[in-house]
Order: sequence, then C-alpha cells, then structure tokens
Amino acid sequence: MQEEKILSDEEIEILQEIMNISFGKSAADLADVIDTHVVLSVPFIKIMQVPDLPAYFKDHVKEYKTISIVEQKFWGRFKGDALLVFSSGAGRELINMLQHDESSGFESDPIDILERETLMEIGNILIGACVGKLAELLKDVVTYTPPMVVVEKNCSDAITEGQYDPNNTAIVLKTDFRFDEGDVSGFLFLITSHDSVTWMKEALRLFIEQYE
Amino acid sequence: MIKKILIVDDSPIARKMLKSCLPKDQGYEFTEAGDGREGFEKYKDLKPDVTFMDLTMPVMTGYEAIEAIMNHDKNAVIIVVTADVQMKAIKTVMESGAYMVLKKPLKREEIQSALLKVKDTLQKA
Repeated sequence: MQEEKILSDEEIEILQEIMNISFGKSAADLADVIDTHVVLSVPFIKIMQVPDLPAYFKDHVKEYKTISIVEQKFWGRFKGDALLVFSSGAGRELINMLQHDESSGFESDPIDILERETLMEIGNILIGACVGKLAELLKDVVTYTPPMVVVEKNCSDAITEGQYDPNNTAIVLKTDFRFDEGDVSGFLFLITSHDSVTWMKEALRLFIEQYE
Repeated sequence: MIKKILIVDDSPIARKMLKSCLPKDQGYEFTEAGDGREGFEKYKDLKPDVTFMDLTMPVMTGYEAIEAIMNHDKNAVIIVVTADVQMKAIKTVMESGAYMVLKKPLKREEIQSALLKVKDTLQKA
C-alpha cells in the first residue's frame, strides 16, 4: 500500500502537530520529576510496510553501541506500541540524576535493578503523558500494558522480523530528545497499525475542524 | 494598534490553527515564516506589531530567533506559542525578552486576551 493512500499530506501534518503537543506535555511532566530540561526535536512521521520496520529502526539507533528500551502497548480506538529508546548508559545516568532527590532511597538496591526500575519509571512518565495527550486531543481514551524494559540491548536485534504482523502497515511517529544535563538522549517511536487509520482520519478531521 | 502580525512556525497546520483563533474583523495583515531564520528575515523587512513564535523549529530555533529579533529591535512584541511548556523553556524565553508564552493547543479566548493585553501595552508606550 502506498503511503499517500493511507494519510494525506494534511493529515500527516495535523498528526505531526498533535505529536509535537503531546511530547511537549510528557517532557514537561518529566521535568517536574527530574530537575532537567528535555530538548525536543521536530516530530517526524513515516508510513511504511511492517517488514521494513527493523531496518528503519536499526538505521535510527546505529549511532548507539547499545540501547535500552521501554516498551508499552496501548489500546483504545488508537492502538499500537510505544518504544522509548535510550542511548547506552542512560539508565545509570538517570539514576545519578534522580539521586539528587534525597528521598529516593536508592542506596540499598543493586545497580541493575535500580537501572531497570528507573528506566521503567521514566518510560512510564514519557510514554503515558505523550500517548495519553495524543489520545485526549483525538477524543480517545487508551489503556496500557505495564512497561517492559530491556536494558543495554544490542541495536541490531531491537526490533525483529515477526514482532509485528508483516501484512500490516505501520505509522511511525518519532521524536528525538536529549536531556540538557547528563548524557541521555533517545527516541520515542509510536507504532500504530492501519487498523487505527479509519478512526484516525476521522479524529484528525474533527480535531482540525475546531480551527476552521 | 495592531495591524501586522508575523507567525513563525515550521508547521503549516499550526500556523493555520493560530490564524483561525484570531478575530477576522480586525483587518490584520498576516505574514508567515517556516523557521526561525526566515522569521527573523521577515521581521526585519516588515517590522510587525506582534510576532507569534514557535520554539522547536529546524534551521533556527525559536530561542535563537527571539534573541536575534530582540537584538535587532528591543521593543519587539513576541508571543511564544509552544508545546514545550517546561519551566526552563518558559524562563529562557522570558529572559530573552518574549512578551508572553501561550501553550499549544491554542484556545481562541487565550489568544484574543493576549492581543488585548498587547494593545494595552502598545497604547501605554
């Protein structure tokens, strides 16, 4: 299926603006928890066949030796998979940043558990706020699976063939981010399938109608 | 009096949304720019009464464009319209001389009350 046939240029632009607003909300929520500023990029939307996803994903994380991933599935009328990808060492860097908070009580836990829990918490905030805001703007309500964390994974097998239905089409919404302090950067990928497209087109139309 | 309005945002949809929130009966003249650099160039050409400025943009960010405009014209009225509502972002742009910050998605009443405030400020100046 050609990408032009799934969403028009205008629909992609609307979705991009909604993603921009949504990730802005999640960055602000995170900045309330960690005393840092999250530098955001212009969101990017790409529509592709599912079998092309692993190569696309690999290409975007190739600058990192390893990555940590927080994954949460979400479903409502808008449904899909959120993958929050952090650069190598981000988990430990985040622990250092959070330890400025005296009440963290981190000292007693082994580092790998702390790393996992920290990534899970940060991921939960970023994904929840972003997907939640996106759904809210499109008048939907979503529920989530608990976050799953993979720490320091090799980039080449982060997304594997067969992880998603190969007959499906993926709409990838991607935002890059970088923390002002600490060496932490990464991407948020939202992968939704064309099952959501009919609803999404109507939701995008209703959203922009408010401004016409 | 407000006549010339410059809207700087990389998203054509965001520019359209902003324009739709402004009253249609005031005879405003709109000019648009798709990034901070183009915004700065158009500012110098047009000297708009009010500039609406996004922050996250390619080529030149809104932060850089605000600094460039304020260095060029310390009386510029720049209203930041952004999805980035982190405290540090707001503090930075206000310290750079922005007039106020409005959060995306825009609401008609917020933007209209912002313009009333600008009119009031310009009348007192």
